[in-house]
Amino acid sequence: MPGLNFDNYQRNQYLASKGFSQAKATSTGTTIVGCKFQNGVVIAADTRATAGDIVADKNCEKLHRLAPRIWCAGAGTAADTEMVTQLIASNLELHSLYENRKPRVITAMTLLKQHLFKYQGHLGAYLIVAGTDPTGAHLTSVQAHGSTDVGEYLSLGSGSLAAMAVLETNWKPDMTREEAMQLCSDAILLGIWNDLGSGSNVDLCVMEIGKDANLYRNYMTPNVRIAKERSYKFARGTTAVLQTSVRDLLDVEETVIPFGQKDSDAMEIEA
Amino acid sequence: MSRTTVASEYSAEIQSTPIEHRFNPYSDNGGTVLGIAGKDFAVLAGDTRHVTGYNINSRYEPRVFDVGDNIVMTANGFAADGKALIDRFKNQIKWYKFNNGGKKLEMQSAARYIQQLLYGKRFFPYYVSTLIAGLDEEGRGAVYSYDPVGSYEREQCRAGGAAASLIMPFLDNQVNFKNQFIPGTDGKEKRPFEYLSLQEVIELVKDAFNSAAERHIHVGDGLEILIVTKDGVRTEYSPLKRD
Amino acid sequence: MFLTRSEYDRGVLTFSPEGRIFQVEYSLEAIKLGSTAIGIATLEGVILGVEKRVTSSLLEHTSIEKIVEIESHIGCAMSGLTADARSMIDHARVEAVTHSLHYDEQILVETLTQSVCDLALRFGEGAQGEKRLMSRPFGVALLIAGYDKDKGPQLYHAEPSGTFYRYDAKAIGSGSEGAQAELQNEYHKLLTLKEAELLALKVLKQVMEEKLDCKNAQLASVTKDGGFVVYSDEKTDEIIKELTKQQAESEDSVAEAVALEAQH
Repeated sequence: MPGLNFDNYQRNQYLASKGFSQAKATSTGTTIVGCKFQNGVVIAADTRATAGDIVADKNCEKLHRLAPRIWCAGAGTAADTEMVTQLIASNLELHSLYENRKPRVITAMTLLKQHLFKYQGHLGAYLIVAGTDPTGAHLTSVQAHGSTDVGEYLSLGSGSLAAMAVLETNWKPDMTREEAMQLCSDAILLGIWNDLGSGSNVDLCVMEIGKDANLYRNYMTPNVRIAKERSYKFARGTTAVLQTSVRDLLDVEETVIPFGQKDSDAMEIEA
Repeated sequence: MSRTTVASEYSAEIQSTPIEHRFNPYSDNGGTVLGIAGKDFAVLAGDTRHVTGYNINSRYEPRVFDVGDNIVMTANGFAADGKALIDRFKNQIKWYKFNNGGKKLEMQSAARYIQQLLYGKRFFPYYVSTLIAGLDEEGRGAVYSYDPVGSYEREQCRAGGAAASLIMPFLDNQVNFKNQFIPGTDGKEKRPFEYLSLQEVIELVKDAFNSAAERHIHVGDGLEILIVTKDGVRTEYSPLKRD
Repeated sequence: MFLTRSEYDRGVLTFSPEGRIFQVEYSLEAIKLGSTAIGIATLEGVILGVEKRVTSSLLEHTSIEKIVEIESHIGCAMSGLTADARSMIDHARVEAVTHSLHYDEQILVETLTQSVCDLALRFGEGAQGEKRLMSRPFGVALLIAGYDKDKGPQLYHAEPSGTFYRYDAKAIGSGSEGAQAELQNEYHKLLTLKEAELLALKVLKQVMEEKLDCKNAQLASVTKDGGFVVYSDEKTDEIIKELTKQQAESEDSVAEAVALEAQH
């Protein structure tokens, strides 16, 4: 039977009522932005991944490749953004092979929204999809429920308000590549400083028409850990040795036996 | 067979499930605090970040206070409750002096009185983890810690608030030398307790907070350390990460 | 005082035109009718001594309780309408115990005295419509003896008027005038506890009509280490014996001196 299967929903509700906690996905409080410029489009993201109040990863990658020149920034449930991106990247490549055409941003966006709508928002993926294709440079966003937007500049994630404050203040039409990079990184920085769900570094990706996409991993690193005041090296023996077990390693010897260098003609088959 | 419209079925449904309304007067304003007692000093440190949810309300909102009589205090958790508790306690110190001919409130008496304040709201508690630090009657460093309803204990060190679970094991290991053995005794002899110097304690506190700020989103911006010695209370400030 | 007596002596809430509240002043008179009580503060501790009026040979003298414990470090002697002291003592005990519950320390002697005096003024309550607890001022005065870390051994005199003063030595009750004069002569700062015991009994002996013994006199002390202790009859007896011996010796020496003088 095609379609959605809700069998486990009932079971999970029952288990929850008996006091079994539901599995909780790690959600990434995030700041992601995208901005178009004269000859292309830029997207950027922070690199903090959180599990509740705890920073799970200080330098995670939120910029995903959908196609060589189509990239996407993801906010929401980490696993969902990752998996949905990989799936659609795969389908996009198959599609482009089948059609023998370069993949288009609108295609990537459509595949994503159709997939996400099918899951009724249960896949918590909030994406900014951007890239260049034969029809030009494009910037779109997809919400977890399947709705999409197209814009000159966009922001998503828990830090989207902070980022949008910068975008609304400094955005202007027909920016240069450098201006767009500056604007996007400034927007992410505001998210990093003012949104607790966002932090650490700035990742950035520039997609210029007719050129290969450029990923600037850790474009900015304004949060390098400072050196510790004290040394935390323990004297050897501070921890008790409870058990000792010494095993002999199996020596594997490899010997190369030269095989008739000069008089080896016997092995060769006569032509 | 009776015919029902969609609308009538819906109205029957909402009636069968009562809607629960709840007043939730508490919130969490993040931040973390830490107290360490030394031989003849005590420190109480806290970060200065004040948050709600994913927002920073202030990057510098002092969390540890000099309440007088060479006692420093913090009540971390729900900031409004923390402020109310500290204000009530400061007020009580004044009354204590009026009633007792200007007598200094000793640490153990301060500790006991805070228990009374907390337990007084047993069924509508102050949502805070409270710490006080100072010197005892013999001049030794003292730290007392409380649960929200007043259970208290004197300790060598204690972390409270958002990153308490991150800092406390570090303190156990570095202040009380837990899980450390004397090298060469094959785990038979524990490393004995010895007091750390004020300099060592401050370094330890800074490392604890810098590390907590790395991994807890509610900790950061600034670190304020209040140091109590026989000469009075001194404050040291140092910045923390702001992301 | 009785010359100015007027209608103003009926209520406790009204000043006389001269600015006096007669009922309070009369309460001080009630104390003067009471048995004598003495307190002496020394550097080692405080001694309380009371006279017990054993009015009948059939009276069980141990049932006369004029020195009571308030807390382990505070005791008190009373004179006047001793029944009134019950509520004051109860109040004092509650205050002392509540203080140690709240602060994990012993209450200061002065703080305790103040709280007792706060109660002494409650006879005025009822004016604002609240329930009236007392109809008249207390007819009893207290000598509160105690020790605390802040001020060491202390002696306080608390009156029905609600005022209190700290004393080195104080006598209250019927024999207080003579006793106070004697204390004035004999007291000095370096008095030992032992000397204070003897002095207390000596002064009591002077002002009492009956012959001094362990049935009609009682001693108690408050010290740093021992806290508040009421002396047993045996111990009181011993001190009385020593006092008698001392007095006999000094009488002898006086007689010798007189004889010696006569020779010259």
